[in-house]
Amino acid sequence: MQDSIVRFENVSMQFPGVLANDRVSFDIKKGEVFALVGENGAGKSTLMNILYGIHEPTDGAVYINGRRIEKFNPKEAISMGVGMVHQHFMLVPSFTVAQNIVMSKEPRKLGVLYDLKGANRETERLVKEYGLEVEPEAKVGEISVGLQQRVEILKTLYRGADILILDEPTAVLTPQETEELFTVIRKIVKEKQMTVIIITHKLYEVMSISDRVAVMRRGKLVGVEETKNVNERILASMMVGREVLFDHIERTGEPGEVMIKADDIYVADNRGLLAVNGVSLEVKAGEVLGIAAIEGNGQSELVEALTGMRPLQRGSFYICGTKADGMNPGQIRKLGSAHIPEDRVATGVSLQSTITDNLIIGKEKLPAFSKYKLHLKQSSIARYARELAEKFDLRGGGINTRAGDLSGGNMQKVVVAREFSFDTPVLIIAQPTRGVDIGAIEFIHRQITDKRNQGCAVLLVSADLDEIFRLSDRIITMFEGKVTGEFKSGEIDKMEISYYMTGHRGEEGESRDN
Amino acid sequence: MITKIKETLLEKKSYLISLFLSVFAALLIGAVLMIVTGYNPIEGYAAMLKGAFGSSRVFGNTMAKMLTLCLTGLAMAVGSQAGMFNVGGEGQLFLGGLAATMTAVYLQGVSPFIAVPLAFISAAVAGGIYAWIPAVLKVKLNVSEVITTIMLNSVAIYLCTYLTNSSGPLRTHDRGVMAGTDAVPKDFMFEQVIARSNLSTAIVYSAVIAFLCWYVMKKTSVGLEMKITGENERFAFFSGLSKDKIMIGAMVASGVICGLVGMFEVFGYQQRFLPSISNEFYFDGMLVAMIMNYSPLGIILMSFFFAVIDIGANAMELSIGISGELSEIIFSIIIFLMAAEGGISKAIQERQTRRKVRARLREEARQ
Repeated sequence: MQDSIVRFENVSMQFPGVLANDRVSFDIKKGEVFALVGENGAGKSTLMNILYGIHEPTDGAVYINGRRIEKFNPKEAISMGVGMVHQHFMLVPSFTVAQNIVMSKEPRKLGVLYDLKGANRETERLVKEYGLEVEPEAKVGEISVGLQQRVEILKTLYRGADILILDEPTAVLTPQETEELFTVIRKIVKEKQMTVIIITHKLYEVMSISDRVAVMRRGKLVGVEETKNVNERILASMMVGREVLFDHIERTGEPGEVMIKADDIYVADNRGLLAVNGVSLEVKAGEVLGIAAIEGNGQSELVEALTGMRPLQRGSFYICGTKADGMNPGQIRKLGSAHIPEDRVATGVSLQSTITDNLIIGKEKLPAFSKYKLHLKQSSIARYARELAEKFDLRGGGINTRAGDLSGGNMQKVVVAREFSFDTPVLIIAQPTRGVDIGAIEFIHRQITDKRNQGCAVLLVSADLDEIFRLSDRIITMFEGKVTGEFKSGEIDKMEISYYMTGHRGEEGESRDN
Repeated sequence: MITKIKETLLEKKSYLISLFLSVFAALLIGAVLMIVTGYNPIEGYAAMLKGAFGSSRVFGNTMAKMLTLCLTGLAMAVGSQAGMFNVGGEGQLFLGGLAATMTAVYLQGVSPFIAVPLAFISAAVAGGIYAWIPAVLKVKLNVSEVITTIMLNSVAIYLCTYLTNSSGPLRTHDRGVMAGTDAVPKDFMFEQVIARSNLSTAIVYSAVIAFLCWYVMKKTSVGLEMKITGENERFAFFSGLSKDKIMIGAMVASGVICGLVGMFEVFGYQQRFLPSISNEFYFDGMLVAMIMNYSPLGIILMSFFFAVIDIGANAMELSIGISGELSEIIFSIIIFLMAAEGGISKAIQERQTRRKVRARLREEARQ
């Protein structure tokens, strides 16, 4: 254990409704670039936030240089040599580069006065030492994102970090800037014996930069591998699963008419960059269309656009034959569509409200539940909630339990119960079983298949290939916002589909850097 | 019904216990302060009770104070149910009061059956519009309503002060009156319920408003939609609620209530609109609302307690010389303790979940 600089021992972290880390144990060696990959919600950021002292783990222990962390706070972590660059930079735009770098440990004159020249000198020294070019006197708000990131890295170096955590560092960078960042990482690892931990879900970056890689899935560690022993395909299948095999579910009936139709749509992400680049698709009644894609390839934005949560840049789409672009979620629901969002905590429920309120919302103005669309019929509502709770096998509390007190699986069942009970001809479903226990997965899969057999048109997005294969009649793959392949279920196996999910259209191809 | 009440009480048990403890501790600290400053706390609190209940007149004043606290507290609660934190009630109260007063002054001689309803409408419109501005800014441009409402308070208060001070354009020309508007004609004023006290028939209107607040917030689909919007805006939007309308509506309703409170102050007993119409009444109401977790029934009950302390403390100062500021100290301590209560019980709960999860994980590991 000589060269182990960071050690996780049975680390678990419970958040409301989600077990974000489930008994994770592994070591990180001194002087390596260690990549941590997994889908959103796999628990990788949580684990790093624990290392940086932002969260205190529910159970387990973390060691740095053999010393067990007793107090979890960032100050303590920094003093033990941990530095973290978050996805969203923590910089003061109106300050200069040098001022940002020395912040919280400013050079002083006479013990109290801020030494601006000293700050510039310190910055120059760091620049020379690490070869990270920045202009000390430039205002941070006026430099590029790539340079801002460099300032963040310098800031952690200035505070004496020898373990550097980078949380999705390339998400905001251009390919050119990414290459520069990687050069810097290689340099500080080689020359300064730093340890760099990089969180990402871009697999070709893992192949290009890391020495070892840990894959996480559903809060658990899937495995730690030497990067040279794996390739993108293997990583992809580790990320999206090779878990338990379920029983076969009977699918019956023939597809009917087209219920969801997208026509060459373009959608921007939160940064304003195009995430969906001209996708067209059709889903017929009585059919499940599965979208298989690695996180961050536009599938989330596509679903948000089709449910009215996000505007389209170009193109149009139709729900039950009616043109629906430009409509808000309420209007799209009225066309006959119900939705399961990928992030149930942020979008799918109100944590502080009771199960009843979460089940009834959207139906509160139906004559069965309110007089004159106003006066709530509390007893009918309670009866209805109890029926749904029983039908969907909700456990973990009565109907007056707050949704936030439920486990992930039961919370998801609340969402499924509410959305499926609208009895709409169209269902748009994203990550229906993320963070959900196996029993609930089986249950939700059966519900989805029942809907399909009853003639529903289902669009299913999932990061879990098992789920896609099990439920879909047709599968399309997406990579970087484009459809890269379309298959009938049973036509293709998981290994082959990983090619399409990583952008290689079937032919050949290994990782990008070589 | 009784079992239902029992259930609710049990559910809120820890909250109620800490509330009673906080109040008790605050009164105790108040007593200590009296002792330290050389007074007998028993005498002090006796004087306070006498000041609040001693005669029908002071009791009327206590009730009038309660109405103000209760309505402003409910105004706060209505907004916050939809996630709109209206800190601007003071300004809405000023404008509502002035609008109603001027309407009445201009309509002198008209039948009260026409003039008084018009005064109601102008108070509601003034308060409502003044709340609508920050609501729209919040919904359309995502400007924090907390900041805008705080700043709009100053705008409204200074505007009303300018208009009605000794040289302002709306000042009265009545002899011997230094500032303020003309008096509201006698026949427009609300009837006194208890003679020579501040308690007027405003109590009836207040009761109606309070009932409506409770009913809408707790018993209707609108209240449910407000609650969902307030708790998770994104979820509300996702579920197809018109969250913008709900948020603006809640804020405007809050402003309307505040505007009416301003009118009640004038029509209930003050007669003229004076720049001193409200001594931060809305902020006291906000405190009541926050202490009671924005529960409408809780606000109604707590505002009575606050009114007793407030009116009683003033009387105490006059009768035995203990500073009336004691009431503020007691309120602040209650709030302080209640805020701490939230933190403490949360910490306890977290520790419990931690223990439970740990036990479960260990159990699973063993199997």
